[in-house]
Amino acid sequence: MYIVKRFVTMLLTIWVIASLTFIIMKFIPGDPFASDADVLPEHVLDNMRAKYHLDEPIPVQYVLYLKSLVMFDLGPSIQSETRSVNSIIASGFPASATLGIQAIIVAVVFGLLLGIIAALYHNRLLDYISMVIAIIGISVPSFILAPLLINYFAVKWGMLPVASWGSFQHSILPSIALATTPLAVIARFMRSSMIEVMNQNYMKTADAKGLSSFKIVFNHGIRNAILPVVSFMGPLFVSLITGTFVIEKIFAIPGIGKYFVDSIFNRDYPVIMGTTVFFSVILVVTLFLIDISYRFIDPRIKLTSKGD
Amino acid sequence: MKKWFIIFITIITVSAALVGCYGGGAEQSSGSDKGDSDSKNVKQEITVNAMTEPPAIDPAMATDTTSGWVLDHIFEGLYTRDKDGEPTLGAAEKVDVSDDGKTYTFKLRDDAKWSDGSPVTAQDFEYAWKRVLNPDTGSAFAFYMYYIKGAEDYNKGKGSADKVGVKALDERTFQVELNAPIGYFDSLLTLWTFYPVQKSLVEDNKNWAAEADGYVSNGPFKMTEWKHDSEVIIEKNDEYYDKKAVNLKKVTFKLVNEATTYYQMFKTGDLDLIMTLPSDVIQSEKDSKEYKEVPYYGTYMYMFNVEKEPFTNKKIRKAFAMSIDRDALTKNVTMGGETPAYGMVPSGANTPNGDFREEGGDYFKEDAEKAKELLKEGMKEEGWDELPQVTLTYNTSEEHKKIAEAVQEMLKKNLDVSVKLNNQEWGTYLDTTKQHNYQMARMGWIGVFVDPVVNLDYYLGDSPNNRTGWVDKKFDDLMEKSKVEQDQDKRYELLHQAEERLMDEMPFMPVYFYMNNYLANTDVKDIAYFVNRYPYLKWAKKTN
Repeated sequence: MYIVKRFVTMLLTIWVIASLTFIIMKFIPGDPFASDADVLPEHVLDNMRAKYHLDEPIPVQYVLYLKSLVMFDLGPSIQSETRSVNSIIASGFPASATLGIQAIIVAVVFGLLLGIIAALYHNRLLDYISMVIAIIGISVPSFILAPLLINYFAVKWGMLPVASWGSFQHSILPSIALATTPLAVIARFMRSSMIEVMNQNYMKTADAKGLSSFKIVFNHGIRNAILPVVSFMGPLFVSLITGTFVIEKIFAIPGIGKYFVDSIFNRDYPVIMGTTVFFSVILVVTLFLIDISYRFIDPRIKLTSKGD
Repeated sequence: MKKWFIIFITIITVSAALVGCYGGGAEQSSGSDKGDSDSKNVKQEITVNAMTEPPAIDPAMATDTTSGWVLDHIFEGLYTRDKDGEPTLGAAEKVDVSDDGKTYTFKLRDDAKWSDGSPVTAQDFEYAWKRVLNPDTGSAFAFYMYYIKGAEDYNKGKGSADKVGVKALDERTFQVELNAPIGYFDSLLTLWTFYPVQKSLVEDNKNWAAEADGYVSNGPFKMTEWKHDSEVIIEKNDEYYDKKAVNLKKVTFKLVNEATTYYQMFKTGDLDLIMTLPSDVIQSEKDSKEYKEVPYYGTYMYMFNVEKEPFTNKKIRKAFAMSIDRDALTKNVTMGGETPAYGMVPSGANTPNGDFREEGGDYFKEDAEKAKELLKEGMKEEGWDELPQVTLTYNTSEEHKKIAEAVQEMLKKNLDVSVKLNNQEWGTYLDTTKQHNYQMARMGWIGVFVDPVVNLDYYLGDSPNNRTGWVDKKFDDLMEKSKVEQDQDKRYELLHQAEERLMDEMPFMPVYFYMNNYLANTDVKDIAYFVNRYPYLKWAKKTN
């Protein structure tokens, strides 16, 4: 029952997002057909508008859009005239997702490690070192870090390719650049949450029972401390796997990150809608999965709609 | 505990599955094949940077230089270019022009073939051109065909395809009827919009141009791979009639849009040719052998809105134009080797008497004293004690900002006028200027083909580009006359007169003529740098 209810809510959410985006999008001044070579006579523009149904009244466009959305057809791109939004997403998403997942793995593994170490050595040297690393990670923007990585690992030392896409080697530098900020955020989250858990009575009880400190930290400490990190992981995961504008641009990665931004500048209406809907679908589904995963991490949480 | 690990392992497994998504997989690692290349038997493969995903590798749909760059290599029209960039017969071997200059009869080459080996026919041309004009195609560049009889009507949905003056008389004979003779038809025909497409291919597959798979073209190269947003690969077309002239086996167009990145890729040898260099790179590479400057057939300018004060007054417009130190601007601000502009038509258009620009000369001089006088006179004419506040609008970009700030300073210094700066995002900006909602605004105009007409047409009274509100009968008449004039000398004379009139009225002020900067691997020889296109690689070869 809970799952059905959630599913309906998910659909509603997506519909609301799609409708709001559609309305806001229509408020942006400008025209997808205005360009550098703006020599087009008015009726040539009319032909082009007709092709994308932009000559219809806006409510009709909205209905047409929803209709094709239900059929999972996101329409043609106006900017890339020979391609459909479906094919843009299909060809760009794998690269973005690969990069995002690699970055997530790096961020989670090292972020948790750093956070746990910091918490266990609270207010000691290792704690300070970890947190200095975390603060640097948060404050150095990726568009600074990425060229630095390229300059050393690719240009100076020749260990890895500068940019482009095609092999695992190509994905190493962008994954690291992409992982840094979330890594630092996870580390800080994990540290504070872990410190809190370590001071709980049940930890003392576990200690009093004579459990090994390894078991205390793993079975009782991390498992309880990780909950806040998991809820933060959902949106993070979605934003990483759907591509990032800066990293994809710097490393020339054929992902979908740039379409989120470029489509707005180009007034490429179908792509604006397509990327937004795609993003929201992934986000809503992920949040749902995260909700379910709480159940596994913490059996006290029950999947009921009333919360009893 | 264990479940937690299961989630973790799932993530790792999924990512392992995604490792297959990097693309080719079989690609060579960068730079590794450099050492073992035999000096006598150099691998004829080069990699160039095209910066952005080509929006449409389809002759009917392309409107941008990136798509045009690929199209120029994989297609060939009735006319193509020789090594100097002059139009020369391509897929056609012979052309007969009727005495009134209105009917062109082309004889196609017997050995003109598609990359799949089938012959290029007159029917393919007829089909391709009518496809451009078909209103359902929604082709933006269809208006370039309006010189053809019946074309405009058909494109506007009034006429029919049968009434368009293009006809395949037989397999090899293609006839074109024009509304009126035009002096630069050969140059026009080198534009990609006029390239043929294979009728059977396009009819059978609506999405034929979306992927490289099954793509058929008739140029020196053929497209073999298109990894969207990553690279486009073209290889030598063995069916091409002039294949002996083609040396390169393979050209990879990388799509790297970040300047620092492609510069570093050039430095590490991943790229053989890059363009659009950032100004700090130009500064440090200016004296290197790899650096190359090529005039680009375009004008950077500030439009004056003649409907809004103070630019309703001609003298004030002139005063503004004369107060900018273009030499200092190009040397110290833009730094890309741009040429100061004192006219509308850039250098590069050849006439029987030499370069059109050189022949026409400069139409005004920078002179702060004279400018101040003109400003005073203009204000007197209008009865102003104080000059209305002027706002200079430009589209948001670092480069335009730098120039606008320099201009602001020069106007303050030389004319004692304080102008405000305002910038807008490109899409909004186009809307603003279209609605004449500005006083002074930046614009750039690049000729798609090289003829003064393309540049001067920009300010025709009914041109959609003309956002200045300036409509001048005399100028329009001169342009009209030049278009039907059959005698080349007289035609250019009329164009000079038109430019003179335009520059005298000055609804805009020119700032500089564009320059393209390239860094090219010195081992790649015989790259042809044309005035208004990206480098042409038909004859290029790698020597080391």
